[in-house]
Amino acid sequence: MKRYYVMGLFSNFEEAFATIAEIRNHAVPGVSVDDVTLKSPIEHPEIEEVLGDRGSPIPKFTLFGAIFGMCFGFLFLASAQATFLVQPQGGKAVIPLPSNIVLTYELLILFGVLSTVIGFLISARLFTRRHPLYSEKVSLDQIGILLELDEKNVNPIKELFGKHKVLEIREEVSQ
Amino acid sequence: MSLKNVLENWSNYRKGAEEGGHHTYEHMWGMAIDLNKCTGCNACSVACYAENNLATVGKDRMMKHQGMHWLRMERYWDEPDLGGDDNEFQVRGGSVLPMMCQQCNSATCEPVCPVAATYHTPDGLNAQVYNRCIGSRYCSNNCPYRLRYFNFYSYYEESWPAPLHMQLNPDLSVRDKGVMEKCTFCVQRIRTAKDTAQREERVVKDGDVITACAQTCPTQAIIFGDLLDKTSKVSKVWESQQVVLGKAKQSKENKELRGYRVLEGLNTDPKVLYLDRVREA
Amino acid sequence: MQTKDIDENIAWAKINADVLRSMENPRMGYWIAVVCCLAMVSCAVVAEIYQYQTGLGPANLTWSQMWGLYIATFVFWIGMSHSGTLLSAILHIIHADWRKPIYRFAEAMTTFSLMTAGLFPIIHLGRVWNMYWVLPYVSDRGIWPNFRSPLSWDAFAITTYLTSSAMFLFIGMIPDLAICRDNARGWRQKLYTVLSLGWQGDDRQWRNFRRIYLLMACFLIPLAVSVHSIVSADFAMSIMPGWHVTTFPPYFVAGALYSGCAAIITLFIILRYFFRFEEYMTIPILEKTCKLTFAIAMVWTYLNLIEFAATWYGHDMVAKELLYWKFTGPYAPYFWMMLFLGSVMPFTLAVEKLRRHLPTMFVVSLFLNLGMWLERWMIVGPTLSQNYEPFAWSIVWPSMVQWAIVFGSFGWFGLLFLVFVKVFPSVSMYEVKEMVFHRRTAHRPDLAVSLHRRAEDPQPGSTPSTKGV
Repeated sequence: MKRYYVMGLFSNFEEAFATIAEIRNHAVPGVSVDDVTLKSPIEHPEIEEVLGDRGSPIPKFTLFGAIFGMCFGFLFLASAQATFLVQPQGGKAVIPLPSNIVLTYELLILFGVLSTVIGFLISARLFTRRHPLYSEKVSLDQIGILLELDEKNVNPIKELFGKHKVLEIREEVSQ
Repeated sequence: MSLKNVLENWSNYRKGAEEGGHHTYEHMWGMAIDLNKCTGCNACSVACYAENNLATVGKDRMMKHQGMHWLRMERYWDEPDLGGDDNEFQVRGGSVLPMMCQQCNSATCEPVCPVAATYHTPDGLNAQVYNRCIGSRYCSNNCPYRLRYFNFYSYYEESWPAPLHMQLNPDLSVRDKGVMEKCTFCVQRIRTAKDTAQREERVVKDGDVITACAQTCPTQAIIFGDLLDKTSKVSKVWESQQVVLGKAKQSKENKELRGYRVLEGLNTDPKVLYLDRVREA
Repeated sequence: MQTKDIDENIAWAKINADVLRSMENPRMGYWIAVVCCLAMVSCAVVAEIYQYQTGLGPANLTWSQMWGLYIATFVFWIGMSHSGTLLSAILHIIHADWRKPIYRFAEAMTTFSLMTAGLFPIIHLGRVWNMYWVLPYVSDRGIWPNFRSPLSWDAFAITTYLTSSAMFLFIGMIPDLAICRDNARGWRQKLYTVLSLGWQGDDRQWRNFRRIYLLMACFLIPLAVSVHSIVSADFAMSIMPGWHVTTFPPYFVAGALYSGCAAIITLFIILRYFFRFEEYMTIPILEKTCKLTFAIAMVWTYLNLIEFAATWYGHDMVAKELLYWKFTGPYAPYFWMMLFLGSVMPFTLAVEKLRRHLPTMFVVSLFLNLGMWLERWMIVGPTLSQNYEPFAWSIVWPSMVQWAIVFGSFGWFGLLFLVFVKVFPSVSMYEVKEMVFHRRTAHRPDLAVSLHRRAEDPQPGSTPSTKGV
């Protein structure tokens, strides 16, 4: 089945957000807000009000990495110390908590950071090809609204874009 | 598996020295030096150079504090108690203190080495593993006695020009540049004595081991032996001076006793006992 | 007099153009700077080769003074790395948006000064070729590093900090790299296509980007504090008078932020001048940085006084004597100079007239950093010269080998920074846009219509152009 991709570029961010709000309110039957991809030169924390809270799994990665780093770090250090008994002690215990806490703390952060970065690479869908409709203006100063549509919805969406003073419309059809 | 090891021995591994640690000592080599007998002749230092393959660095480097004297004779001319500004006392000579590694039981050098090149042996010695040393020199910086020496240059070529290399002691290595070294209490002699004793199926007796400095001292000011052996000569001196290991402050009944350990208050627990020199005022 | 941090009505295309222009093919001055830095680095390389082959003797290290400028300079560079984190993480969390035009180069400074600092513990080793023994790797001999040693803590802390701050720098740059990719040609385009990791400004990407940026900032703040506390543990964990000080961790962290902020002022002025970033690195932002530096300088002064008072009031005779000796002995000129530069000099930052005068601030910031470098030397040097054992008391001045390597480290840092400013955008384009966007919506939402449109775009209401059908 043929899929149609339509992207409108807006210079007025308020109008672009209003467009998404209308799609959310079913201005075009059969097009839901979940089909919308917003492309923007800057980050818009406020967009979640119209786009809906789509969530992000990164904090889970962070939590996992930090807990793993802490457990692994301490056990790694403790077992290394326990197998290396000639280790200089200066009168201290074989597994000294003060220094192990310092190192465990560092390893917690190291693994937390690495796992967060991996989580970001996965959940942000990086390493993918740029969309054929990607416009360089998106990285400059205009907002793009990209929709994946059935054929019958293409024209109503274009009209909606026009109502909101779209500057440019790009289209693409995939087989 | 190591994790199993950790869990099984957890309580044991968590014990510090106060609760007995998990170390058991076979010997506890210690020393007693009578400063009344010491004449400051430097024979001990020379013997140490010969025994331990110490590099001679030359006058300039020696003046620059780059020498390798494991046993150094410290001279103090200006002690206020001896009337430091008084010419008369200067003529009578300063006071001397032969200093070698104090083999601390709670050594400050040990915990700071990043690669564990210095550690405590079951003989109670503070050992330096030359092969493991990377030369970060932290141990020396953390030694309040400053008794660790560093190979700032490679000495094996210039220090023993032929035929002097023939006099090198084959029982121990010659250290290359970048390695920390210090007095070992002649660990090669201790090793030989222990091997001999084992071969003869007996325990190491007092007098089996004598360090080069103690052997050479013309006035026999240095006494060396095992502090765990209560019958040894050195133990008796320690006992008579009422100095015990493991204390930062000694509780002496008789305040007249001359025995003291250098910088004992830092809780390094050194194993060299000095008997203070008595001088007429 | 300019009072606004940034002109919020600046066209976004101009932001892109200005920053991208700074990355264009360098002019003569740039190559001269590169050659100077290379010359400095080669001084250090020659000295290091000599030292590597001969041993540490020519560096004038002795058995009484085992550490010299190397460790002092190591602490200096580590310290300098802290302000990037301050600007990018702490100010990010407290929503101080004036950081946005200047945090990128500060963060690059963090990474590069860590890369410089990391060289010093290696250079100062007696047997450099065995340096990897400090790392905890599994060996058949069952030998591990000594986890009790503050030096192995350093290895952990610096590795973690370098990894994290490099990641933070890179992640924060991805949207900008996408801009570079969209505007570059040739090899640069290939490079930025790889580096921007396929960024296309999707809402999904931005949403995750916001999360990771915040999370990394939360990780980096305690990390930065812990790193310099651990570096201070190199001294504070030892038994030596003048080192064994409880206030050292906060003292080091304050000193680190101090020297870092001073370095930010220096680089701020250099970049502003050479790249003509007057519209982004504005005087009001410089003023805010100066005020921050002044506040940190006062914290540092306070901690200094605490240390003196605690030593003077305490009963540790050796430490007391050392403190008097620092004020009166052979190190006294440097010690007084450090106090003057570190505690008196920053009062120039409190005067508005001086604060707004760029040449003055440039000189002052260099002097502040000299003061902070002296501070590190005054920590390492005097304690080793005079401590418990009177026989080992000695004054040893660093030799040319040490000076050459210290000198070269500045060249190395400069070289890394010079490469950075030509390959990566040294002002964060997308964040400047965010800054002006948020400031503008507070005042004039209608301006967006005219500002975000170029000549070829259709007027509002006319038929939109269509492509790609």
